[in-house]
Amino acid sequence: MSVDPPPTEATDERDSTLSVHVLIAVLLGSLVAVVWWAVDRGDFWPQWVWLGLGITVALNVTWEIARREPRGAAAGYRTGMAISVLLAAVVVAVWALTGGGRFWPMLPVTGLGFAFAVLAVFRYRRLLPGTKRDLVERVDVLTRTRSGALDAQAAELRRIERDLHDGAQARLVALSMQLGRAEQRLAGHEDAASYELVRQARQEASAAIAELRDLSRGIAPPVLADRGLGAAAEALARRSPMPVTVESELTARPLPVVESAAYFVVAESLTNVVKHSPGASATVRLHVERERLHVRVRDDGRGGADPLGGGLSGLRSRVEALDGTLSVTSPPNGGTTIHAELPCAS
Amino acid sequence: MRVVIAEDHALLREGIVALLRENEIEVVAQAEDGDGLRRIVNAHKPDLAIVDVRLPPTFSDEGLRAAIAARESHPELAVLVLSQYVEPIYTAELLAAGGAGIGYLLKERVGDVGGFLDAVHRVAGGGTALDREVVAELVRDRTVGSGDDVLEVLTPREREVLALMAEGRTNGGIAEALVVSAGAVEKHVSNIFAKLDLPASGSDHRRVLAVLSFLRAAP
Repeated sequence: MSVDPPPTEATDERDSTLSVHVLIAVLLGSLVAVVWWAVDRGDFWPQWVWLGLGITVALNVTWEIARREPRGAAAGYRTGMAISVLLAAVVVAVWALTGGGRFWPMLPVTGLGFAFAVLAVFRYRRLLPGTKRDLVERVDVLTRTRSGALDAQAAELRRIERDLHDGAQARLVALSMQLGRAEQRLAGHEDAASYELVRQARQEASAAIAELRDLSRGIAPPVLADRGLGAAAEALARRSPMPVTVESELTARPLPVVESAAYFVVAESLTNVVKHSPGASATVRLHVERERLHVRVRDDGRGGADPLGGGLSGLRSRVEALDGTLSVTSPPNGGTTIHAELPCAS
Repeated sequence: MRVVIAEDHALLREGIVALLRENEIEVVAQAEDGDGLRRIVNAHKPDLAIVDVRLPPTFSDEGLRAAIAARESHPELAVLVLSQYVEPIYTAELLAAGGAGIGYLLKERVGDVGGFLDAVHRVAGGGTALDREVVAELVRDRTVGSGDDVLEVLTPREREVLALMAEGRTNGGIAEALVVSAGAVEKHVSNIFAKLDLPASGSDHRRVLAVLSFLRAAP
């Protein structure tokens, strides 16, 4: 059983129609030649019949080629070229059949060539600026959707943090309070084991609350949303086990998405210093210059940080997603400076 | 003691109300947002307001602002702020509002009923109740921020006593927490004041202020 894919069959079918066409043309051509030889043997008029038959075959071939071309601007261009060549060939053939002489086909062939050239130039010119315009539009759309996606992400993180606060955390606090009340009632009761169980349950609830608090602070620190980048950086500095100085010259608040990227640059950089350079101290500087937010974290640690390290490359992609830049200067024994620049139209 | 509560989470609010009533503390009114707090403070002139930092409509620090505002118009009002987070900046703002009777506790401390009631009574009585996390941050600030450890002169036990003093505990409370005698606590306290060169003070409240101003002093 034949399992040939259908396109191949269709091509074969078209090839066979073309062969039939050529066969008929050859037969007809021979027939008129025989008729001519039998009837007058004068002026060789069958040549005109041959020309006509040749044109139909050429048209058929052109049509088949055009059909096989992939669709699009280039296909139309090639079909146009094939038809022009065909027309020129017909004209030249007519000239040759009429006995040559002055080469009058020059005029129509030049005209065709000119018309084709105009078409080509027109198409080409329309194509290029079109592509460029499409690209500009595309970049515009991508920029917009990307920043929209990042905004949405930042908003989503804050929503999750709020949901945790109002949902799980609040319920756990309520639970811990109920356990506390039960504990109070059981205190001094003869069933010491129950009292101890309830007391332990309450401590577990407290531990869960503390873990959840750390988790949601890592997702979207409330002080950042409430008081902005400067205060949040101060809070990070206070929480850090090393001495950290914060110099903030911010007056207005950048977009939340920019603010949170900057926050994580500070947080991650400070964590890195503590991890890699025990005993070091750090300075965080925040300022806006020419509509760019500059975040600089400098330490006096041992330097030699790997700019492609996990934490740093994560920060870089976060910053670059906002059309910002992040640079790391870290000579051995020369401390490390992390400098992020973020667009902020504030 | 007459208390009002501003907390938007019904379960928590009702829990705190029940807990206070079980312990013979009168809850005269409840509110769910900052405006509500202002209204009930004006209407009931309570001794103490227990306020959640985050309240509608902004869910940021609405409660803190409302509490500070309420205190400005009613300076005799004691304020106990409950928060899911310890933020030094909120502590600083609360303490800067000045006056007596200020508390700032993590919400989960309500589970420790004894400790919570102690804090409620202390704040209502014009004392201070700072969460141990807040104090820990203040102490860390003082030791880390300045580059050299100014608390180095204290023994580990004296540091513990200092932290408990900063939380606002009385000598009795400190003795209970450390399971030592009141006399031992008194001795530690006088040592701390001498070593840190703090002005000696008779009242518990002034003592807390002295300790806090020492801890919060710029290095």
